Amino acid sequence: MIKITDLEKFYRTEEVQTVALNKLSFDVKEGEFVAVMGPSGCGKSTLLNILGLLDDPDGGSFIFNGIEVSGFNERKRANLRKHNIGFVFQSFNLIDELTVFENVELPLIYTGVKAADRKERVHEVLEKMQIMHRKNHFPQQLSGGQQQRVAVARAVVNNPKLILADEPTGNLDSSNGNEVMDLLTELNQQGTTIVMVTHSEHDAKFSHRIIRMLDGQKVTENILV
Amino acid sequence: MIKNYFKIAWRNLWGNKTYSFLNIFGLAIGIACAGLIFLWVEDEVNFDSIYPNKDRIYYIPTNQKYDGVWRTFNSTPGPLAPALKEEIPGIKRVSRVVPREHLFSLGDNSIYEKGIYADPDFTDIFSLQFLQGNAASAFKDINSILISRKMVKQFFGNDTNVIGKTLKLDNTREYVITGVIKDQPQNVTLNYEWIAAYEPFAKYKDWMHQWGSNSMDTYVELSEDADVEVINKKLNGFIQEKIGYDNQTSAFLFAMKDWRLRGRFENGKQTGGRIIYVRLFTGIAWIILLIACINFMNLATARSEKRANEVGVRKVLGAEKKKLVIQFITEAMVMAFLAVVISVLLMQLALPQFNLMVEKQLVMDLGKPLHLLVLLLITLFCGIFSGCYPALYLSSFKPAAVLKEIRSAKGSAVFIRKGLVVAQFTVSIVLIISTIIVYQQVQHVKNRKLGYNKDHLITMKVRGDMEKKFNSIKQDMLNTGMVENVALNSYETLSIGNNGSGATWKGMDESGSDILISYRYISPEFISTAGMEIIEGRDFRLNHPGDSTRILITQSLAKLMGAETAVGKDIRLFEKDFEVLGVVRDFVYGDMYGNSDPVIFFLNEPDYAFYMYIRMSVNANIQETLSSLQAIMKKHNPAYPFEYSFVDDDFNARFTSEMLIGKLSRVFAFLAILISCLGLFGLAAYTAEQRQKEIGIRKVLGANVKRIVQLLSTDFLKLVFIAIGIAIPIAWWIIQHWLTGYAYRIEISWWVFAIAGMAAIGIALCTVSFQAVKAAMANPVKSLKTE
Repeated sequence: MIKITDLEKFYRTEEVQTVALNKLSFDVKEGEFVAVMGPSGCGKSTLLNILGLLDDPDGGSFIFNGIEVSGFNERKRANLRKHNIGFVFQSFNLIDELTVFENVELPLIYTGVKAADRKERVHEVLEKMQIMHRKNHFPQQLSGGQQQRVAVARAVVNNPKLILADEPTGNLDSSNGNEVMDLLTELNQQGTTIVMVTHSEHDAKFSHRIIRMLDGQKVTENILV
Repeated sequence: MIKNYFKIAWRNLWGNKTYSFLNIFGLAIGIACAGLIFLWVEDEVNFDSIYPNKDRIYYIPTNQKYDGVWRTFNSTPGPLAPALKEEIPGIKRVSRVVPREHLFSLGDNSIYEKGIYADPDFTDIFSLQFLQGNAASAFKDINSILISRKMVKQFFGNDTNVIGKTLKLDNTREYVITGVIKDQPQNVTLNYEWIAAYEPFAKYKDWMHQWGSNSMDTYVELSEDADVEVINKKLNGFIQEKIGYDNQTSAFLFAMKDWRLRGRFENGKQTGGRIIYVRLFTGIAWIILLIACINFMNLATARSEKRANEVGVRKVLGAEKKKLVIQFITEAMVMAFLAVVISVLLMQLALPQFNLMVEKQLVMDLGKPLHLLVLLLITLFCGIFSGCYPALYLSSFKPAAVLKEIRSAKGSAVFIRKGLVVAQFTVSIVLIISTIIVYQQVQHVKNRKLGYNKDHLITMKVRGDMEKKFNSIKQDMLNTGMVENVALNSYETLSIGNNGSGATWKGMDESGSDILISYRYISPEFISTAGMEIIEGRDFRLNHPGDSTRILITQSLAKLMGAETAVGKDIRLFEKDFEVLGVVRDFVYGDMYGNSDPVIFFLNEPDYAFYMYIRMSVNANIQETLSSLQAIMKKHNPAYPFEYSFVDDDFNARFTSEMLIGKLSRVFAFLAILISCLGLFGLAAYTAEQRQKEIGIRKVLGANVKRIVQLLSTDFLKLVFIAIGIAIPIAWWIIQHWLTGYAYRIEISWWVFAIAGMAAIGIALCTVSFQAVKAAMANPVKSLKTE
């Protein structure tokens, strides 16, 4: 599903150029659950942004579903993203002004799903995430675990082929964290490809493969199953 | 999708009440202010639009050359109108018009009413709408009269059939009502409550039948296929040809559509008029709207950090830039719509006061398509204009950066925001400076030495037996002990009155014969009653018959007569020689800002006394004096209601336009400052919030409240200083331009700019320091913890 080859990304200020990704290469197969680990500043988040089509690489190739996407403009990227990729963030990133229902509904609005179908789909996902009873609440009225469940619901509501999770349990206690990891595992078992960036060895063990990075390069790769 | 946009727009407005209030209230004030100005503009540009033939109605003024300069006059000779209709093809209808005021009486009910004497074509030219009677029988007899519905109500109560009923004019002649016409709206140039036939009125007045005497107005209606240029060519030499010699007079067509707004002529050329105020106020309306929109832009971009996350999430979830732009513009639209709703309420509240100020009866009518359309356009303008920059700015955020809270350089937004604040304050300062200058100029002219004493001077129109009984009236008035002197004059001192050229004297150079001179016929008491000053020779004397061939002249005429004294010299006028008895110090009349033409005072003749002047004692009580005068007039002139005015009031009334500009610019300046401050207040609040952590750290490190207030205020004050720097040259240029229109004008003083600048700094400082002090007083532990 994903094939990156010699991927490069630099951040420049007036005086300094920092290498965030240094000729990084790896593949992710469809249905795989991959964890990316490494110390702060090793390029994990940059990698995730590029995989999520939120950012452009400065060099190398990125093939997504057999298509080279590294030169895509923002419109093309947005189009590909909204149909194929779901995101889960450490800080949930729910929109405070929208209710649980409306937050989960948003991706469906952007993909042009009809109102009646949207309602049905959102209810289905909320039921699955066991958060239906909170559908009319605003994010700030929920606990961290509940907020992350809503975020996962939002990530999967469009049935994406790929879920990118950026330290999904970073803001949660261990029991809520485990719940979220169980949810991701379940989604993976149902066929969704997952790439997760994490600092937590515990969370990484839920994956099939761990890629360890340092200074923008892949250091090791451990297959767990 | 749209529903989602509205929902989030509403929740954003509701969730940020202070921000929403500042935006919506500021914008509502701006829209209400602009709305009121647009109502005023609508009224001005629609002047005279009730006439269906508006495009074909013209007025005929004349250009006359005096002293090498063309001057434009309204009046024309009596024989002009019939000759035009007969001799110039394309002129379909003509009417002479002589405005007059008469006392109308029915039983004990006597009221002064203004009206006109006109030719029969008048009813068709102006498409009079008859409520009773008709055009055919309007002027069937010499004493026929048409009256307005308002007059019917005043004399006959509600809608009785008044055709055939009579009203007495000036207690002498009976007029028979032949028609009732609809009351005129307020926005027409030609106002009248009654119309009587011109011919019988003019029959025994010789001057109304002479080509050499300009004594009435001429209106024409052209046929549909008429060519204005061709007619103007024919009109050019028309009067000269009739008179038989070159008297430097040319008539021309002056279109009705220009009467109200383009009625100013300089050296015979049309040079604008009130249109400048229409343009100026329209410009100011848009500027005030812009200032209010700038608030939205600034507060929206200042708050961008709060919205950045949302933008990031939406982009991650697949929102394209276009959709985000639409979302943010929708939010601005929702805000603009709410502001328009509030502004309609504000306008309704302010209209009565505004109408008093502009002396109109403007109505805001939501049932009127034009008014609704303008409100809609304002909503769209405000929504799109104020929403587009924040929309483009916010929607350009990179999701990867904002979600990780990596702020990209905010330089451009900050720079634009500062620029917009500078723009707001520049406009406000220009308005403050203009307000002060307009006020100074009006005061300057009001305090001008007029050459006579306008205070404690009462004037009354001479009616009935007032002239005949003048000596008795005068004696009774003097006997009250509250009156110092009483006099008669043919014209109001402030007005131009009757003027002409052709005076000659010995030793005069040839070019002098076309100097325009104002003629006034006065009783011997006038010069002293008015408080004018004889600077050479002597005044007229009472009971001195020899003075009837003598004249008083003003200083400017004496100067033209040469360096030697004019006293004792003869001036030839009207084929007679008049000896100059004395020279009067020049006095201001007609154009209060200009230099007045010379004046000749003749000793009064019967039928030439139209105004009585009464000099009150300085210490006399005004109410008591007026009561005594009323009793005296009732005794000597019982058939006429007591009517008077104070010359200083009449004088003040000459500054209506300037007073209006003065009042409006005060209001505009206040509103511009208010709206700008609302924006600044919001910006200061956000800045304080943004720098909360910095303030906390500084306090922990030992900064006191004063230092922190200084820190937060300095940035804003810098902007105000820049605004002052930009505003001063702009204001200077505008004021110079405006003042050149006045011959008698103030010198611009530097302190006006200093005061305006200090006012702007003071106001900005008050606005900003409130937020700064609040931020500086906050507990640093709290702010550091929240981070």
